[in-house]
Amino acid sequence: MTEPAGPAAWTELLGLYRDEAGEVTLPDRLLGLWAREHGAAAAGLYLLKDGLLHQEAATGPGLPASLDEASLDSEPGPFRSLRFPDGRLVYAPRDGSEDYADAAADPLTVLLASLIRSCRLKRELKDQQFQINFRVVELENLYDVGLAIAATLDLDRLSEEILLRAVSLLDARRGALYILGEGESREYRLTRTFGGEAARSVDADDPDLFSFLAGTAESPGLLPGATYLLGLPIAVENEPKGLLVVGDKESRRGVGPFLASDRRTLALFANQAAIALENARLHREALERERLEREMHLAAEIQRQILPKGAPAVPGYQIVGWNRPARQVGGDYYDLLALPDGRVELVVGDVSGKGIPAALMVSTLHSALRLLLEEAGFGPSLLERLNRHILESSMANKFITLLMAELEPRSGVLRYLNAGHNPGFLVRPNGRVEELSSSGVPLGLLPNSRYQPRELVVEAGDIVCLYSDGITEATSIDEEEFGTERLIEILRKHQGFTLQEVLETLQGAVTRFAMGVPQYDDQTVVLLRRDLTP
Amino acid sequence: MTESLNVSVDRRDGLAVIYTEGYINNQGGEEIAKVAYKLLDDGVKVLLLNLGGTKIVNSIGISILIEIIEKMIEIEGKLGFCCLTPTIEKTFQIMGLAQYAPIFRDEDSAVAQLRG
Repeated sequence: MTEPAGPAAWTELLGLYRDEAGEVTLPDRLLGLWAREHGAAAAGLYLLKDGLLHQEAATGPGLPASLDEASLDSEPGPFRSLRFPDGRLVYAPRDGSEDYADAAADPLTVLLASLIRSCRLKRELKDQQFQINFRVVELENLYDVGLAIAATLDLDRLSEEILLRAVSLLDARRGALYILGEGESREYRLTRTFGGEAARSVDADDPDLFSFLAGTAESPGLLPGATYLLGLPIAVENEPKGLLVVGDKESRRGVGPFLASDRRTLALFANQAAIALENARLHREALERERLEREMHLAAEIQRQILPKGAPAVPGYQIVGWNRPARQVGGDYYDLLALPDGRVELVVGDVSGKGIPAALMVSTLHSALRLLLEEAGFGPSLLERLNRHILESSMANKFITLLMAELEPRSGVLRYLNAGHNPGFLVRPNGRVEELSSSGVPLGLLPNSRYQPRELVVEAGDIVCLYSDGITEATSIDEEEFGTERLIEILRKHQGFTLQEVLETLQGAVTRFAMGVPQYDDQTVVLLRRDLTP
Repeated sequence: MTESLNVSVDRRDGLAVIYTEGYINNQGGEEIAKVAYKLLDDGVKVLLLNLGGTKIVNSIGISILIEIIEKMIEIEGKLGFCCLTPTIEKTFQIMGLAQYAPIFRDEDSAVAQLRG
């Protein structure tokens, strides 16, 4: 055994191995001195971290960069060690000597122990700095994801961005992102995966999934093969919309469970994913609304093409027609048609329901009516065939009320058929009113409906008015209906005006009456007046 | 997405370019370190890490890259990075890697600078 170095020698040594700040430096040279003093072939200072000894300084050959503490103690090998609170002094005894009993008391050994403490403090400081920097990276990532969400609505790209950043910042080995299916679906579907296979779908109501997300149970097979999982719901206003799952947290020694702080970090990414999903949904809805508006605009244009562009010119008569749908497209229909032989057809119809379905039936009515009129001419059989056609081509519970009149201009005879439509009026110059009342059920209700034609004669100054219930049922803010009396009164009081002026007066009166109340039903009016002088 | 890291090397007259493809995590970092230390043992003192095929790096991977940088400083060698994604470049800036190992936009300028 060698003698420990004396105090005088130590004073000199410490002078040599201290820097300007008084810190002991050059541990490898101190180790060299220790090895020489104790006859060791090699010696190294090792810092203990997570059960592994990491070499901080060494002298002599053969010492590994790291050693497993447990195997160093349990397995006989070429190395021996002195245990310190922060690590070990590992050495290779010369000639297999085991006699190092006094080495622990050697002041040089004590100095090396303090050096390893210094190494630990430096390492901890470095680790802390690393952690602080990584925390900044985490915040920067969240900020960048926020910017990406604001800059794009590409959900695929955002999903990948969010998943990759969550995996990397949580030191996960694997990850997956699920999105709840559309509509009534209660199934999370795999959208993105990283690092390996993931379950393609998960039942959103699976109790095991709830327990897993709450952190109280194992994952229900979301990432097959992964040992440690952490998952959180992606929720918008407490409504689950998806899942964000990471697996197997890495360390230098392998994989392990995630920490409580990881759950908080993952929650931040889940929130970002929720914002991205919600933005994408709102964008999809906006696009869908835009598409529907375009289609409605197109349908309205088609319907405008169906309705007459003007009234036929019939000597001795004035004819006007007008329609105002409650929505972009409507279920009211009117037609004004002069036949080659001089007869004039006036039609007003009202399809049950509103919007696109009603507009489609209007289109069916228009084409069938025109064809049948050309083929069969005005009469009960036209309406009976039209009834069967409507019944066969429309959905159940859909029907059409229709008032169709045919004028023979020279005689003034007006024949009409009324299939369940509200009665038209003939207003005489003396104020007397005759009704063009119903003579059958609406079209499309019964297969064998029959219709009785009726007729009256239009004399000079008479006004014939066909209209839809949108006029008489227009409601004021006090919930009063416009009614037939007001309609007839306008017709009575404006005998000296042109028919266009009468129509405009009627339009204005209905509009003012219903001021402040949204128009509920389509409004249609057809007026015919026989001139006072031929 | 690539699960494990693929590493390849192009040695060019005293300089070596290490190409990575995939996740630089614990396994990926160790793979890079193994290749880098082998090159140092072979006497190569200038290394360029081309991370063009890598989209994702975790903290374990970064700590291993820092160890490689420390080793390069110890042997007075040179190490640079090139072709990083904006996310990885920002991460390296914040984590201090860029302080000791320059970051280049492309491989040609990196090789020219590291040789100069």
